[in-house]
Amino acid sequence: MYKTRPLTIVLFILPALTIFLMYMLIPIPLSAFYSLFQWDGITDMVFIGLKNWRELLNDSIFLNSVLNNFKLVFLSIITQIPIALLLAIFIYKKSRINNLLRTVYFLPQLFSSVAISVLWRYLYDPFFGLINEVLVKTGIIDMPIDFLGSEVLALYATSLAISWRFIPFYMILFIAAINGIPNELYEAARVDGANKFQTFFLITLPMLRSTIINAIVLVLVGSLKYFDIVYVLTEGGPNHASELMATYMYKMSFTRLKMGYGSAVAFALFLIAFSLSLLFLNLTRSYSAKKGD
Amino acid sequence: MKKSIRFLFCVFLLTILASTTILAQIELILWDHQTEAEPGHEMIKDAIARFEADHPGVKIRHVPTKNDSYKVKLQVAMAANDEPDIFMTWGGGGLKSYVDAGKVYDMTDMLVNSGYINRFIPAGIETVSFDGRHYGVPVISISGAFFGYRPSMFEKYGVEVPETWEELVEVAQVFIDNGVIPFALANATKWTGSLYYMYLVDRIGGPETFQKAFNREGSFTDEPFIKAGEMIQDLVRMGAFPKGVNGLREDQGQARMLLYTERAAMYLMLQSAYSLMKSENPAVAEELDIFRFPMVEGGKGNPTNLIGSAGNNYYSISNKCKHKELAFKFLQYITDDKAQEMLVKSGAMPPTVGTDRLLDDEVNIKMYQFFSEAEYVQLYYDQTLPPELADVHKDTMHGLFGLTMTPEEVANTLEEAARKYYNED
Repeated sequence: MYKTRPLTIVLFILPALTIFLMYMLIPIPLSAFYSLFQWDGITDMVFIGLKNWRELLNDSIFLNSVLNNFKLVFLSIITQIPIALLLAIFIYKKSRINNLLRTVYFLPQLFSSVAISVLWRYLYDPFFGLINEVLVKTGIIDMPIDFLGSEVLALYATSLAISWRFIPFYMILFIAAINGIPNELYEAARVDGANKFQTFFLITLPMLRSTIINAIVLVLVGSLKYFDIVYVLTEGGPNHASELMATYMYKMSFTRLKMGYGSAVAFALFLIAFSLSLLFLNLTRSYSAKKGD
Repeated sequence: MKKSIRFLFCVFLLTILASTTILAQIELILWDHQTEAEPGHEMIKDAIARFEADHPGVKIRHVPTKNDSYKVKLQVAMAANDEPDIFMTWGGGGLKSYVDAGKVYDMTDMLVNSGYINRFIPAGIETVSFDGRHYGVPVISISGAFFGYRPSMFEKYGVEVPETWEELVEVAQVFIDNGVIPFALANATKWTGSLYYMYLVDRIGGPETFQKAFNREGSFTDEPFIKAGEMIQDLVRMGAFPKGVNGLREDQGQARMLLYTERAAMYLMLQSAYSLMKSENPAVAEELDIFRFPMVEGGKGNPTNLIGSAGNNYYSISNKCKHKELAFKFLQYITDDKAQEMLVKSGAMPPTVGTDRLLDDEVNIKMYQFFSEAEYVQLYYDQTLPPELADVHKDTMHGLFGLTMTPEEVANTLEEAARKYYNED
């Protein structure tokens, strides 16, 4: 029998640890540090103290992007979780048709974000897009709706595409959780004469509590740092109407070459996402404690 | 067990050693955005092959990256002191920021002493020259913005090619009355809307309006800027642009699609869009004709003035490059007769002397003619301005075409950003 030496353990952890440190942990304090400088990425860094932060708090575009992020969090939670749960309940039982449906419903999750963005861009096209064509032909509206170009609609149109992509992920999560609920509970309920709604609200939903909480945290953090579909679909436009913190950070750092300011946006994003998830987890935990779980 | 690990480690070291000795021959790294879809792709490949055949022991490593990611990639490399030997830019303010940081090789002596400077049309060299020193050569194509239109549609609705802004508005009204969109425009990309703005500013106030504001002798709130904004918004209000113009993307062909399907009649387009039309829809490209941006009555700008670029893509040598002579020689391979011919064949108009003799396409000949007759060529604002201001300018184009900002707000936003950028407050 081999005895594992501590050195071996360290060596095996080292590659993953290095990458984690370099790309995850170290950049966090580093971006806080960079946010104190004026820096275009090429020439020397100039220390300007908290000027970037003062500017950030008065930057109406940034504040609006924070608001957009919260809108996205809210929209994602109220669409993604219930729809995913509903789908899961319909198709969690193993049968041939359910297996087929599971595969079909899971497809959006398999496409890359850019492919999904291009797909939705064509769906939304005011002149040739499927959505407008159907709405106009059926007489629901008489003029095509400008989904992506309107400052009012752009964010909502984008959030629909995002939800479409992520619902399947949570659906699979819920299917697994539902299948993990012991069958005895349902049998007992049947013996007691509970109907389907009662079984759902009194057994399935309470048993899914921890999964739902986890899913909400995932949606919360995911929506706060969301980037790709928004960037490809609208680039945060028109005129910053669908700007998110992450797209704004990218633009500031790499299009306008204000690395210091971009770092300030990045660190603010980190602070917001981190404190919100902590808050939410603590709230649900203290709630569980009160109930004595 | 231990021995075999040691052995593997030795083999690993040896491989590294061996690979570095093979690389001891000279390698020049070339970065640009000439991916397969771009007109210069074949030409660059061919030039590299010819160069390597003539210079044994020298290799060129070509790394093409798609347009938008290219800008970021180059910027990051410059910041990390990891720039390639030869790289491509769009000239103007973008290149200047690298020149100011001491990253770009001043090739004035090489160009002048060898006389190779005469290979290029003067306007092309102009874009990469700062304070009389030259930092690159124009390579791919002369490009300007012109109104493309479908003569068959003009005939059908009985309108003539307009020569003044008033006539253009009248023509637009005829199309609107007939349910046709006058101008195909996809403004999610922002620079497309900026073309109208730049042209109107030029036609109203002449080239010096922008030059003065840019040199900070004037202001971006000067009257021609405001007037241009008002004229665009008048067009928007009368319905001259497609609905949802701020959501359509030029790079996904959403403007050209309107022209192909006869839903729109005119299209303020670049030379590169014409190359694309030829492959996307040869029938429409065959019919297409172009006219200059019309003059504005009482305006100071000469109607031959162009918004465009006399090279589109400019190649420079970095200061870090160890073999500048070789790099300069390579630049001659991508601008020689063979390269010129290949570029013309793929639909471009290289900014080298003698290109006009190779053109056989009516629209291209006309574009070249407009270009050579131009009294002044204004490089696109977003390439003249430093990147930070360029982005502000482009963002305001959404506000302008979406009617969510007044022309004054559009002008003030850019002026404020410029004041801040140049520390004038």
